[in-house]
Amino acid sequence: MTITNVTSEVIGSVWKVEMNVGDAVKAGDTIMILESMKMEIPVEAPVDGKLAEFMVQPEDSIDEDQVLCTIES
Amino acid sequence: MSDVKVPETLDERLVQLRELEENARQMGGKDKIARRTAAGIMNARSRIDGLLDPGTFSENGLLGVSTVFDEDRERTPADGKVTGFGLVNDRMVGVVSNDFTVKGASSSTTNMKKIGHVKRTATDRGFPLIFLGESSGARMPDNMGSEGMGTMLGNDPHQYVRGRETPWVSAVLGQCFGSSAWYSCLADFTVMRKGAVLAVASPALASLAIGQKVEPENLGGWKLHSEETGLVDRVVDTDEEALAEIRKFLSYMPSHNGETPPVAEVPAGSDDAAANIPQIMPDSRKRGYDVRKIINCIVDQESFFEFKPRFGRTAVTGLARLDGGVVGVIANNPMAKAGALDVAGCEKVTRFLVMCDSFNIPIVMLVDTPGFVIGIEGEKKKAPGKIMNFMTALQMCTVPKLSVIMRKSYGQAYLNMGGGRNSDSVAVWPTAEVSFMDPQYATDVVTWGKGASDTEKQAIREDMERNSTYLGLAQIFAAQSVIAPQDTRKYLIEELKIQHLRRSGGISQHKLANWPTTF
Repeated sequence: MTITNVTSEVIGSVWKVEMNVGDAVKAGDTIMILESMKMEIPVEAPVDGKLAEFMVQPEDSIDEDQVLCTIES
Repeated sequence: MSDVKVPETLDERLVQLRELEENARQMGGKDKIARRTAAGIMNARSRIDGLLDPGTFSENGLLGVSTVFDEDRERTPADGKVTGFGLVNDRMVGVVSNDFTVKGASSSTTNMKKIGHVKRTATDRGFPLIFLGESSGARMPDNMGSEGMGTMLGNDPHQYVRGRETPWVSAVLGQCFGSSAWYSCLADFTVMRKGAVLAVASPALASLAIGQKVEPENLGGWKLHSEETGLVDRVVDTDEEALAEIRKFLSYMPSHNGETPPVAEVPAGSDDAAANIPQIMPDSRKRGYDVRKIINCIVDQESFFEFKPRFGRTAVTGLARLDGGVVGVIANNPMAKAGALDVAGCEKVTRFLVMCDSFNIPIVMLVDTPGFVIGIEGEKKKAPGKIMNFMTALQMCTVPKLSVIMRKSYGQAYLNMGGGRNSDSVAVWPTAEVSFMDPQYATDVVTWGKGASDTEKQAIREDMERNSTYLGLAQIFAAQSVIAPQDTRKYLIEELKIQHLRRSGGISQHKLANWPTTF
C-alpha cells in the first residue's frame, strides 16, 4: 500500500471539497476546489486510489506545497 | 620537461603510445572510479559513452597533462577534462566532459586549450556544444599570483561570449563551480541531477568567507535552481536521465543558426486529441485549468518538452512539434496566480523567446491571462523592466509568431502575448475576452467615490463584459481568425505554412542572438 500526498500548487483558501474519505478516485478526478487570486483552482488526484485523509476543510487558508489530503493505493 | 623516454623505433613508439593512452583512460585511478560507480554516479568517460551514438567519439588531447608543475604531469591524465567530437542521433556535436577524479577537473593551461579547441571548432563548423559539468573551479596553485593570473585566466577574450551560433547544452552532474557553473548559465538548455550543486564557489569556501555554515543544497541545490533562480531547465534523478534529456533537447534543435530545426514523423493519432479541448476549458471564467493539458491536445503526441516547469509557473514554455515541425510554445497557466504574469514568468518567457529567435523556431502563444501581477513584491524585483524586456524581445523576434487568445487577455499583457500587431497572426476562440482591465475591477475604478449603488455597478460591469467579447476583435480585424478550440491544431498547422519565412529559407534575423543568457 502506498500513501500519496496531494499538495497545493498555490497560496489561497479551500473553497469546497467535492469528495469524502473512503471515496475511490482516478488520476485526474477533482477532489476539491481552492480559491486563489479570485480564481477557482481544481485539485486533481495525481494517482488512482482511495481518499485516505483530509488535512483541510472549507475556508482554511493554505500555503503552496501544503498537504491537502492523502490517497491510499 | 617530461621525463618519459621516447624509444627509438616506430614499433616501440607505437607500443609506448598505446600504454600512455591506456593510462590516460584510467582517469584518476581505479579506486576513485570504483567509489563513484558504487554511489551510482557515472564518470567522465562513461558519461560520454552514454551521451554519444556508440563508437562515434573522436577524442582530442588524450595525452594532454598539466605542465605547470613537473610533478603534476604523471597525475593529471587528459588534464581532467575529456574533450572531443561525436554523433548524437547521427548529428555531429562537440563535448567537454569534466573528470572530477583528476584534481577536481579544475581549470589550468592545457585543459583550457582543449575546451577552446572544441568550442572554436563547434562554432566555426556549425554544431552543438555539450558541457558535462562537474568541476571545482580554477586550479590552485596554478592560477595563483599575478603571473599565474596573467598566464592562465583571461587569455581568451571569447571564453564566455555567447553569440548563439550553435546550440549549447550543459549538464550539472556534481559540484559545479567556476567554469562548469559559468557554462551552465550560458547554455540554451541546462539539466541538473538531484544532489549536484551549481554555485559561484563551493560551500566550504562560502562558509569560510562568511563565517557561517552553508549547506550545499541551500547554496546551489536543485530546488533553489529549479524553483527560485530558474537557472536550470530540467531536474533528473540520475546521470543516465540527464544524458537522455540532452539527446531529447538536441532532437528539436538545428545544428547551427543557419539551419532550420529537424522535421520528424508525425505520430499516429496526433490529430485526435484536439477534440478534447472543450472539455478541458471550463465553462466558468473563474475556473482554473492546467494549460499543459491543452498544449498536449494541440501538438504532435508526446512532443511537448517543457522548460523550467517549477519556475515562473504563471507561464509555460516548451518546445513541441506541429505536423512534425518544431515550434516554441508560450502559454499562460491559470493554475498559477490565475495566469497573471509575474517577474519569474516574464524572465522565463524572455529567455525562451531569445532561444527560439536564435535557432529559427516559430513561436505559438496560447493566451489566458488577466494581466501582470501587481504589488510591492514584483516592483522590488523590477517588474516594469522585466515586462519591457519581454516586450522588446517579442518585437525583435523575427521568427513567425502566432497568437491564439483562448480566454482572458487584458491590459499590457494583451500586447506581450501577441495582441496589437505583436504577432504575425492572431486567432481568437469564441471564449476570448479582451479589455484593458477585468470588468470586476474596472467597475470599481470608474465608480470610485461616486456613491454608485450595487445595481448601478452591476449594470456597468455587464456592459463592460458585453464589450469585451471576441466579436469586437474580429469586427475591427484585430484578430485575423475566429476558430473553435477543437480546430486550433489544424489552424496552427495551416497558419505556420502561410507564415513560413520563404525568402530566407526559414532563417530568422537573429536579432536577439547576442542578448544575455539570464534576465
